[in-house]
Amino acid sequence: MKSLLNFFSSVKLAIVLLIIITCASILGTLIPQQRSAAEYAIRYGQLANLFTRLQLINLYHSFWYIGLLFLFALNIIICTLTRLSPKFRRVFKPKLAFEPKNINALKIKEKLRKNWNLSRTREELSRELSSRHYHLKEKEKENKSYLLARKKLLGFFGSDVVHLGLLIILAGGIVSGLGGFRKNLILFEKQVLSVPRANYSLRLDKFETEYYPNGSIRDWKSTLTVLENEKPLFSKIVEVNHPLSYKGFVFYQYSYGWNWENPSLEIWIKKRNDPSFLKKLKIKTGERVRLESEDIQFSVLHFIPDFVINEKNQIASRSNEPNNPAAFIEGWQGEERIFSGWIFARFPDVDRLHSKKETNLAFELRDFKSNQFSVIQAAKDPGVNLIWVGCTFLTLGLALAFYWPTREIRVILEESQGKTEVMAGGIASKSRDTFQSEFEKIMSRLRRAE
Amino acid sequence: MSESTLFLVTFIFYILAAFFYFSFFFTRKENLAKTGFGTALMGLILHTAALIMRTIESSHAPFTNMYESLSFLAWASILAYIIIEWKFKFRNAGPYFMLIVIALMALASSPLMPKEANPLVPALQSYWLWLHVSVTLLGEAFLAVAFITSIMYLVADAKEKRSQPRTSGISSKKLDSISYRCIAIGFPLFTLGGLIFGMIWAYYAWGSYWSWDPKEVWSLITWFVFALYLHTRITMGWKGRRAAFIAILGFLAALFTFFGVNYLLVGLHSYT
Repeated sequence: MKSLLNFFSSVKLAIVLLIIITCASILGTLIPQQRSAAEYAIRYGQLANLFTRLQLINLYHSFWYIGLLFLFALNIIICTLTRLSPKFRRVFKPKLAFEPKNINALKIKEKLRKNWNLSRTREELSRELSSRHYHLKEKEKENKSYLLARKKLLGFFGSDVVHLGLLIILAGGIVSGLGGFRKNLILFEKQVLSVPRANYSLRLDKFETEYYPNGSIRDWKSTLTVLENEKPLFSKIVEVNHPLSYKGFVFYQYSYGWNWENPSLEIWIKKRNDPSFLKKLKIKTGERVRLESEDIQFSVLHFIPDFVINEKNQIASRSNEPNNPAAFIEGWQGEERIFSGWIFARFPDVDRLHSKKETNLAFELRDFKSNQFSVIQAAKDPGVNLIWVGCTFLTLGLALAFYWPTREIRVILEESQGKTEVMAGGIASKSRDTFQSEFEKIMSRLRRAE
Repeated sequence: MSESTLFLVTFIFYILAAFFYFSFFFTRKENLAKTGFGTALMGLILHTAALIMRTIESSHAPFTNMYESLSFLAWASILAYIIIEWKFKFRNAGPYFMLIVIALMALASSPLMPKEANPLVPALQSYWLWLHVSVTLLGEAFLAVAFITSIMYLVADAKEKRSQPRTSGISSKKLDSISYRCIAIGFPLFTLGGLIFGMIWAYYAWGSYWSWDPKEVWSLITWFVFALYLHTRITMGWKGRRAAFIAILGFLAALFTFFGVNYLLVGLHSYT
């Protein structure tokens, strides 16, 4: 037990763990994480199996990586605790009767002799130290007087506060991982969805995409109304960077999309030999419309938002965004199909119609409308408050450790024949140069004082 | 004067500053280094004006694409260097450091970097953009100074061991201490800006404070390397050569976080 404690209280273990965790983390950025099995098979061939078994494809959530983090946390806890009690002792119950050799061993030190008696010397020195915000502790023993002057003692605990912050952050991570819950809610306008694991619902009143003048996207905005017992409570516009928080849940603008199953299309029909002819047709896919003047039955069979011919020579949609909208149209005369083919909204001049009979009709896909939906991510993350507390401690600890350096001055005063021997030494773990000049100033003031 | 002209004039000032610092390096005339310092300071003022103009013209923070980020990193590096030179009365890193700044400026002005200011994508429309990026890059700038002084340490140390005369005119011990002081400034800034502000912003923008995105992981790796530097130094007394190696490694990790991740690894942070 004791040897285990010694093992975990060593800084060497911390350093070894730091190096291992760093290397593991690098590995995780070199192997793409959480992709499909097929992708790994293509990328790594035979090795894919090994990688899967070693959990390298979901490395940061693997048992061994989390295990390493646990070991690291345990190491931090034991390292910090074993060093804490001597620190507390040094701060709250300092030894005052130090030996002259303790002072001689210090790097910053000075000896001088004053033509004053002990109490006057002590008084002057104390006044000078107090004016520089030093806290004093005094002790008399035999004919000697001991003075311990210290300031910025909190800086002494800076590293401990940093470690505490890190542990709280790790704890927050555990709480988030175990108790966190997120689900994507797909909402069409006017649709109401009850929030899972909550006693209220959300209604999407409006979803809009805003554009910059150059056509790039400025923002996605979902106007959400919170409903409790079917009564609307309040509304808020949720956009990227501005989520809605309500009763432990946070709702984010996560994604958006269109339902392209049954869009409303507008097709313009023109005649090549008659510029005055124009027929605007509003039609849905699968619908059949009769063009009286031409004696043609016209229909749209398919609509594809992002037309592409893929590597297998098949027609497909590259994405769900209307980047290259295309419609497959047909024309019938009685039982005979006289033309069929794809027309493109972006390329009205591309004519891919196969026609049996000579036709002078031209078709343009002018408009397409479908239901747009907004994807709202509902997230419950009980660990997040711990994370913020941990971050606060981390920042505070770093500030204390680096910019609130503890200073300590130890003085032994000894009177002989009405004169006083002063022996002083200073300790500073950080920014020793500034401390040294302060120390020298204090001592030279004392030396020159009449 | 337009922003691009101002940027060019700034670049010329930095090149002049490098010229003066190198003249100081070869002649050891203190006045040349002082002129170099003054020129760099003038460059910094012009650069600040250029960044302000960029902010007004684009109406967003001046670090949303690679050109802007490189220019801002060069600005932060000059600022960090000027602070360190002024605080420690230490001029010897000037010539080397100016080379880094010139490299950053040259990269920013290369034709590979698109210069036009694009409107902000939705994810970047937040005041956290200002806090997260500026504090992180300022931290990295101080780590860059530590990188240079650590390399100088290795050279000075090797020469002292062979009892050759110093070329940099400064003891290796002093260089080691300056490296540490730079990290003592850079590391807390990097922690605050890169990791903490990053987590807060990620929480508001992406819905999760940590997603193991490659940029996040590499920030953490950088942080680990400097944690290693501090622990080996403070508790195991690793100073000198070993400390210099870790500081160099740490800055290379920071550089990869800033630069490499965008080009070599794909993730949420791909904004270039």
